[in-house]
Amino acid sequence: MSPRRTQTETNGRAIRSLLVALLFSAISTMRANAQANLSSQGFGFPTGQFSSRAYGTGGAIGEMDPLSPINPAALAQLGSRLVFFQIEPEYRSVTTSNGTERTTTARYPVVFGAIPFGSRLVMSLSSSTLLDRTATTVFNTTDTIAAGELVPITTRFRVDGALNDIRLAGAWTAAQWLRVGVGVHGIAGHNLVSITQSFTDTTQFAPFTQQRVLGFGGAAASAGLQVFSKTWNASASFRVGGKLDLSSEDTVLTSAHVPNRFGVSLAYTGIPGSSIAVRTAHDTWSALGNLGQNGLVGVDAWDTSVGGDFTAPRILSHPVFLRAGFRDRTLPFQAAGQDVMEKSITAGIGSAFANNRVLGDLAIISASRSANIGASEHAWTISIGLSVLP
Amino acid sequence: MNRFFEERSRKFLGLLTAVLATVSIAACSEKLEAGKSCPLLCPEQAISLSDTTIDAIVTDTTVLGLPPIGAEAFLMLASHGDTLDSRAMVRFDTLPQTFTARNSIDSSITVIDSAFLVTPIAKPDSAHRPAGPITIEVYDVDTTATDTVASILGSLFRNDRFLGSRTFRPESLTDTLQIPISTDTVLDRVLNGKKLRVGYRLVTPTGRGYDIRIGSTQGTAAVSLRIKASLDTAATAVVVSPLSNTPLNQSFLAGPLADFTIVLKGLTSSPATVLAVGGVPSRRSLLRFDVPSHIIDSTTIVRASLILTQLPNRRIDPRDSIFVFPNAILAGPTVTNAGSALGFIGTNGQFGLDSLLIAPGDSGQKSFEIVGLVRTWKGNPTTTSPRAIALRSGLEGQAPGEIDFFSTKAAAALRPRLRITYVPQTSFGIP
Repeated sequence: MSPRRTQTETNGRAIRSLLVALLFSAISTMRANAQANLSSQGFGFPTGQFSSRAYGTGGAIGEMDPLSPINPAALAQLGSRLVFFQIEPEYRSVTTSNGTERTTTARYPVVFGAIPFGSRLVMSLSSSTLLDRTATTVFNTTDTIAAGELVPITTRFRVDGALNDIRLAGAWTAAQWLRVGVGVHGIAGHNLVSITQSFTDTTQFAPFTQQRVLGFGGAAASAGLQVFSKTWNASASFRVGGKLDLSSEDTVLTSAHVPNRFGVSLAYTGIPGSSIAVRTAHDTWSALGNLGQNGLVGVDAWDTSVGGDFTAPRILSHPVFLRAGFRDRTLPFQAAGQDVMEKSITAGIGSAFANNRVLGDLAIISASRSANIGASEHAWTISIGLSVLP
Repeated sequence: MNRFFEERSRKFLGLLTAVLATVSIAACSEKLEAGKSCPLLCPEQAISLSDTTIDAIVTDTTVLGLPPIGAEAFLMLASHGDTLDSRAMVRFDTLPQTFTARNSIDSSITVIDSAFLVTPIAKPDSAHRPAGPITIEVYDVDTTATDTVASILGSLFRNDRFLGSRTFRPESLTDTLQIPISTDTVLDRVLNGKKLRVGYRLVTPTGRGYDIRIGSTQGTAAVSLRIKASLDTAATAVVVSPLSNTPLNQSFLAGPLADFTIVLKGLTSSPATVLAVGGVPSRRSLLRFDVPSHIIDSTTIVRASLILTQLPNRRIDPRDSIFVFPNAILAGPTVTNAGSALGFIGTNGQFGLDSLLIAPGDSGQKSFEIVGLVRTWKGNPTTTSPRAIALRSGLEGQAPGEIDFFSTKAAAALRPRLRITYVPQTSFGIP
């Protein structure tokens, strides 16, 4: 048996081991529940469309990260075929005057694949979560249905689903200092909404469940560029939203537009293998306002972050990257008429395995969300990304 | 050296894999607490219920004589003076002519040592025991005349047809009564191949009415005739079960007539303003509904209450509560005869229909919860899902108590109504 073959088998075992673990992880996190909170108002929580690597820097390198489906120009950095998958459980606690509730939500915010064609062109197909609305709310009310007749009701309101951004993008290395890219986006997804009401008096009342599937369909286009030197990287991208329909079965209920987004970042890359970046982006979430009922208020929001991705000393011959960042943003939908702010501190680590054919990234995010309504929310998010170079 | 690092790398990789899997599994162990943050942060609120009470009963009627003769689960043997007098009939139309003697040898019956009617009864609870001893008399009711007519059969309860009797103390009314009957008569019927048909009569002290329930062939245990055809204690007794051979060659009709009840005194009818359940003769009530389709088909019904106003019936056993069951009518609208429709009903409890325990002497509003049935009407035509229910007594044909309600022909305030609580069609789910 040749040494090369032995190495290949070792790598194969390692890849299989990771894939099996990933599959097992995915199966074990199929269920996701949440409840009334600040972050999932309206059509849901914006995960940010960041890869685990970018998340480790608070999103500061998002515009220049090829695995974050934001700036299509960043794809041009990829030199080989790559498949990327990400899981992202969030442990959340919401505190109001009534007490604190803790929930867990599991997300799979990014799936990504890219193939280079020649040395300058890279094509990519990805799906990422634009707004995650997965939530379950259980609450008790008392309904007065006739003169003096009070009926205690327990309501379970569950929403499964998300608004997803499916992007087909291409990037071109136009010059030694310039990369450009374009993408077309299909904005699709569904919300499976179910409401179950049960009654304390089971002799008179029968519980019921109503279900409804809300479907989304829309389009958008994006473009981006990167101007870079040995010490600096300036990146920018924008997405122009097209029409977005909300339908139930074959009936279009409401229409709005996919939010426009503009993002720009500047990174210092003068330290080999490291980046220190600052990024800001603006999303016109208000464009989604017409998609909901009267009273739903989308907020045009800024998302600003600063962070760094640093090369650390190798451990056991594995390259190691350490990341940290800070992020400040406004969430897309108001809660009880007030804007919801989020501040988060992030840290991350990344490495390569299996002869650099498997890249693993881990980010931990501590986010605090608040609004001027006597409620606060804190979340720990663990983002795990796995890239495989087949 | 490389080999050493490779080995360490594999261990590191394995450790990382375990960490990833552990974190992911931990993500699954969510807690789901009730919405403390509601209503402040709840994106959706409970759907409000709507409530309406409608005159949804388009027709209602009471049909007497249900269940039909012979279909009783128990035979009602009652003696309430002139108020009620019912008798139980049991037919043994075929009697064996042999028995198993000592050493398992079949022998012809030539003599009868003893003959008993083994009579299972529904054991009365302490509240329903008679105040004093009661006597059960048995008569020969075989006749060549019409053999199911009460007046004809009633006339056969006379001294020259007396077969036997027994007096029971209240505490001896347990589960089975043994009543001796004339061995000469039984032997005569055995030897001549004739039918033995017996009639039960309950005798109570003057001024004290009482009724007991005797097991029937339509129930779990029926009366049997136990004949001992030898003085030899080793001989096996012959046990004969009830059997009716008439009407001839019509087993479908003859079968139920193996035992049945007749009423000699106390037959009542129900006026048009009353919906009656139970009573003597036993009766059922039929109610047909017409619920607007915008409620049935376009909403989700969470409660449907059939509200009836009871009027007291203190004729017999006014305090003995009876379960009144609402049953689904299974016959389609092509069956227009109420009596026929009431013969095709669902079982007790089907569709989640619950009963009410009501005393005949009570009065006031009673509410039957029929949401389980009403929900089945949604999206289904009346041809497959009839909008009708039956009301029946849990002791129909077995106990004399009668529950009366006002019908749609009574004063407006007393008529049956349907109260429906429902969830209107909503566009839920859109934030």
